[in-house]
Amino acid sequence: MNSFIRFLSSSIGRKYVMAVTGLSLTLFLLVHMAGNLTLYAGNDAFNEYADLLESNPLLPLAEAGLLVLFVVHILFAVLLTGRNKTSRSDKYQSSLGMGAKTVASTTMWITGPVLLVFLVIHIWDFRISKELLDEYDLAQMVVDRLRHPVGFVIYTASIGMVGLHMWHAFQSAFQTLGVAHPRYRSLIQNTGRLITALLVAGFGGIPFYLFFTG
Amino acid sequence: MIQKKNHGDLRIVLEVWRQNGPGAPGAFEEHEVMANEHMSFLELLDVLNEQLVESGRDPFVFEHDCREGICGSCSMTIDGKPHGPRDRTTACQLHMREYRNGDRVRVEPWRANAFPVVKDLMTDRSAFDRIQQAGGYVSINTGSAPDAHAMPVNKENADMAFDAAACIGCGACVAACPNASAMLFTSAKLSQYTLLPQGQPERDQRALGMVDQMDAEGFGNCTNHYECEAACPKGISVTNIARMNREYARATLRRRD
Repeated sequence: MNSFIRFLSSSIGRKYVMAVTGLSLTLFLLVHMAGNLTLYAGNDAFNEYADLLESNPLLPLAEAGLLVLFVVHILFAVLLTGRNKTSRSDKYQSSLGMGAKTVASTTMWITGPVLLVFLVIHIWDFRISKELLDEYDLAQMVVDRLRHPVGFVIYTASIGMVGLHMWHAFQSAFQTLGVAHPRYRSLIQNTGRLITALLVAGFGGIPFYLFFTG
Repeated sequence: MIQKKNHGDLRIVLEVWRQNGPGAPGAFEEHEVMANEHMSFLELLDVLNEQLVESGRDPFVFEHDCREGICGSCSMTIDGKPHGPRDRTTACQLHMREYRNGDRVRVEPWRANAFPVVKDLMTDRSAFDRIQQAGGYVSINTGSAPDAHAMPVNKENADMAFDAAACIGCGACVAACPNASAMLFTSAKLSQYTLLPQGQPERDQRALGMVDQMDAEGFGNCTNHYECEAACPKGISVTNIARMNREYARATLRRRD
């Protein structure tokens, strides 16, 4: 068997894939969030930024890359989680716990699927539906969505899920990749927390700004 | 027999898992035992078993050997914690002074598909032996003692290898892991050789062999909760898991087949 296929069939290889795709998606989220911040400068600034992105001939390539990242991340999560949920058929009768696990670490398999549902809604709202329109004002679409109570609740709750997912994910990815020198442990952990806070504040601030100023 | 109540005596209500064999249905049985604060937890089970034998009932099967915290036999989960509530302590070194009079304590076996229950509290942990056999060794000439300093080892690596080698293979890491993963054990057994010059010739084949065997045994995958490190009676660090991940990736890149 090809050594690459063997790697991808192993527990550690699959974890590597989760870590690499996860960190790549984190980078994407940071760029995405930075772009969203143009909304604070008004609808026109946001639309200008969107036009700039869409006029880039490399955009389809980037979108295809993103799709691959998401699909691979989800697929390997299903493979790994499936195994993890079947490795202990007879459950403990007492509540098992040493106090090291966190709400974030134990809910990765829940926040993940919830985020997938959000992702589908999100892509329909702001990527696919505009393809069906002859003319559209993307910024206005965003504003309308987030000022609607249902849209506001779904969006803010989903950003909360991103935060919970990321809280565990960042340091976990580095541990999986084998970067765990005691000297860098707190640096990695704090960087992860900072990125999580940035993402939650950056993405999450916009719906509040729109909802309460609208 | 009427026993005078001594200073330090405690009445303990034990709920112990009773299971007749692998795959058989099991249930907790409740028993009251008089303990003394100087007893170890295993001695408490000895007292319980004596009571059971005297009344013509089956004693509970549990594993034990050295009773001094170094053999890794006394595998049992006490109130949801492998080896009980005390940090870095095996069940045999857990003393009843940790408990109060009237405490209710629940004891059940390690639970993982890779560790099937043999009977009651005893599980079959031979999966660990097979992981060890898949690469947890060095092929060196053991004929005569080598000269001291013939093979220099730096102090930091020697210390890390020693810390990894402190693993007693008890399986508490698997028992504590929400995914029943054996990565802390496997990584400790891999690290103790990989960090030393004697472990270099078989470095790649060790990483590949041990990890593949670990996967074949049906353990879960590590999701970095670090419950294993907290449960480990020997304080084995999860940095060993990071090392094993690196070693496995490295060995994959270097493999020729």
